[in-house]
Amino acid sequence: MTDELALLALSVILVGIPAIRVVRTGNLVRAVFWLALTLLGTAVLYALLQAPFLAGVQVLTYVGGVVTLMIFGVMVTRRHDSAVVAIDGRNRVRGALAAGAFFAVLGWAIVRTDLSDFTPATTPTTQALAHDLLDTYLLAFEVTSVLLLAAIICAVVLARRRDPELHPAHPTPSREEVSPR
Amino acid sequence: MTTALGLALLCLAAPLAAAALSVVIPPLRQRGTPAAALTVLSSLMATVASLALLRIGPGPGAAARLTVPWMVVQGRALGEVGVRLDGVSMPMLAVVCLVALAVQVYSLEYLRSERPASYGRYFTYHALFLFSMNALVLAPELLQAFAGWELVGLLSYLLIGFHVERPAAGRAAVKAFWMTKLADMGFLIALLLLFVRTGSFGWDVALPQRTAEAIAALLFLAVMGKSAQFPLHVWLPDAMEGPTPVSALLHAATMVAAGVYLVVRVDPLFAQAPLTREGMLWVGTVTAAFTALLALVQTDLKRVLAYSTCSQLGFMVAALGAGSAFAAFFHLGTHAFFKALLFLAAGSVIHAVHSNELSAMGGLGRRMPVTTVTFAVGALSLAGVPPFAGFASKDTVLGALEGRAAWIPWTLLISTAFLTAFYMGRVLVRTFLGRPSEAAAHAHESGLVILGPLVALAIPAAAGGILGGWLARGLGTEFHLHLGLTPVAASLAGLGGLGVAFVVYGRGGEAPLAAKLAALDRYGAIDRTWTWLYRRALLPLSDGLRWVDRYLVDGLMNGLGWGTLKAGAVIRPLQTGRTRDYALAVVVGAILLLLLGGWR
Amino acid sequence: MTLRAFLLVAAFLFSVGIYGLLTRRHAVALLLSIEVMANAANLVFVAFARFGGAPGQPLVLFALAVTVAEVAVGLALVTLLYRRHGDALLDLASEAKG
Repeated sequence: MTDELALLALSVILVGIPAIRVVRTGNLVRAVFWLALTLLGTAVLYALLQAPFLAGVQVLTYVGGVVTLMIFGVMVTRRHDSAVVAIDGRNRVRGALAAGAFFAVLGWAIVRTDLSDFTPATTPTTQALAHDLLDTYLLAFEVTSVLLLAAIICAVVLARRRDPELHPAHPTPSREEVSPR
Repeated sequence: MTTALGLALLCLAAPLAAAALSVVIPPLRQRGTPAAALTVLSSLMATVASLALLRIGPGPGAAARLTVPWMVVQGRALGEVGVRLDGVSMPMLAVVCLVALAVQVYSLEYLRSERPASYGRYFTYHALFLFSMNALVLAPELLQAFAGWELVGLLSYLLIGFHVERPAAGRAAVKAFWMTKLADMGFLIALLLLFVRTGSFGWDVALPQRTAEAIAALLFLAVMGKSAQFPLHVWLPDAMEGPTPVSALLHAATMVAAGVYLVVRVDPLFAQAPLTREGMLWVGTVTAAFTALLALVQTDLKRVLAYSTCSQLGFMVAALGAGSAFAAFFHLGTHAFFKALLFLAAGSVIHAVHSNELSAMGGLGRRMPVTTVTFAVGALSLAGVPPFAGFASKDTVLGALEGRAAWIPWTLLISTAFLTAFYMGRVLVRTFLGRPSEAAAHAHESGLVILGPLVALAIPAAAGGILGGWLARGLGTEFHLHLGLTPVAASLAGLGGLGVAFVVYGRGGEAPLAAKLAALDRYGAIDRTWTWLYRRALLPLSDGLRWVDRYLVDGLMNGLGWGTLKAGAVIRPLQTGRTRDYALAVVVGAILLLLLGGWR
Repeated sequence: MTLRAFLLVAAFLFSVGIYGLLTRRHAVALLLSIEVMANAANLVFVAFARFGGAPGQPLVLFALAVTVAEVAVGLALVTLLYRRHGDALLDLASEAKG
């Protein structure tokens, strides 16, 4: 019992506070860094859950990759006339209400569900995990690679710069582009 | 199917085919002559067939039927449609077809001056009329009879209002239509009552007395409308706005007689309704007497004949009231011939002097001999002078009253017979004798096509009494002329009336008719009452219904459309285009789904 | 029981992310909120993997990969939005207004 309480307190500190900071701070850059902290906290929780490999991957991918991407995103969309971008919106009340309602319903479901079937089990070793990836889940693995490839191509196509000399007002496809079918 | 039944079907199919062809192939109709030829040809076929049926059809007391079930619901048919041949339908069929043929041939010449398109329309209507009337006559059950009844009513409307350029004709057509339609409610309710009680529309059923009285009374209501009995008689004189051949066929011989025919047809039903019969006796008597009085003061030749028709129909209804379907049927037959003859001959006269008024006539006996003779034959028959056909049938009617010791009606009808002879004498004198008027001086006899039917009809009008015995046997009774109170009284009334008329009018001009002017007043009152009802009751009701239709029914539809648009305008702001709002919707939906899942 | 605790934590994280999703005006801020939500989902998977739920940790890896792909495409869209309107505020992309 006290384990749980201690765990909950830890979680609140590790991930709860940073997450709230992410969604409430007025400074965009700070929000990105709070996100980094949230993700780090989650990695710690993974370690607590006997998933060290995943914790590592989390740090590498999220904290390293995604946060970097976000920084770039902030830089690209920064307005030239202001240093700090106000990003807060109106409708906070209804947002809070919706989020609160959601948490209430979901929490109620979690508390009421009988979880006694789930007992602590042995978690796989990294070797076993690697083996599974290339054996049982091979198809998913390959499909995921294709998905990532598609995402890359999509992002490149969407965001590439059109030649401003030809069409300054409305970007149009250049002659190399293949028209979508 | 026997030959007889096949011939009966021909009587239906031929006129229907002629009408249908004229309708779906407009050039036949618009060029006039082709439609006329089709109609006359089909009538000729029907006439020959009907006459053949008199020889080869079922004998006395027997009947032949050919029907198909109509409107089968859950294995049960609503009614039967087809033909029924017996001692009632076969003679009527022959009468209808013969008179129709004569009238149609007559019309070929009489209406020659019409535009071709109107000419064709006229004959199309005639073909359709003959089909409808035959369908009524041959009906095996009351359902088909009702259909034919309504159809002839429609054709009456169309033909009365044939001269569309004359507003008076249109008004007369509407008047005839809605008055008879009002009375037809009786027929409809009677049908419903009959079906509810017996499960079919046949009339050969035994009914509890109250039901029989109700059905008979309701049917009689319809008969009062169709056969112009008091007080529903006012449409018939106005119907004279139609062409004279139409007056001859529909409003003398056949359509108005359909009411009488109906009662003869369903005699087994009326036999169970003595109270209704009592009422019929009195209504018929009053009608006969009253309308005969009115005929005395008419200055329009056709209107004299119209009131005369009402009067003779009253005779028939009184006979029915006295329980003698044969008497009524016999008089119906003879009346069809002599009244049609009178109308057609009148048409010949009117054509010659270009006027309906008696004042425009006079001294035509010399200038139009054939017309005069045939008219006289018809008049004598109507007046009930022996040995003409009208005498035989009128005598039978009066004999039925005598047989039932209904002395008051008997006396009234004998007096009416006197009046009948009197007003016909008046017409004879003023039209054919004496000094001719301006117009009459230039009159000349009509052509062969007109005179032919006149002569043809004069024969049965004169000699039709011979067939009394044969007709009676077909109905299961007997007929014989004997020497007795009624024949003597009737003969005296007829001859006496004519004689007095010759004396009174022989000197020329109109005799002082002070007492009769009072009758004119009464006539006006009835007509005014009906007009008042029409204006104050029926038209406001129609206006009210139109308001309901426009504002409630249409309003509902328009309201639905308006409501849809309004609802759309209300909902449209939900589509803000803002991502956050859509995200909120997604979240709310997710919450609802979770709740739904949790509830299970 | 600890499972329940972890699930509650994940639920809380997810709700926080929802608040951000519904509130933020700037596109990148929105993406950050989405990241928080995705993270919460992954936490659920890992928790269940610890307590015997199949398929467990491999699923987490795939979920992670999908999230990364989503971020990439999302940022490309944000870039487009910025280029068209000169600013990355979401309200500018309201052509679906009925």
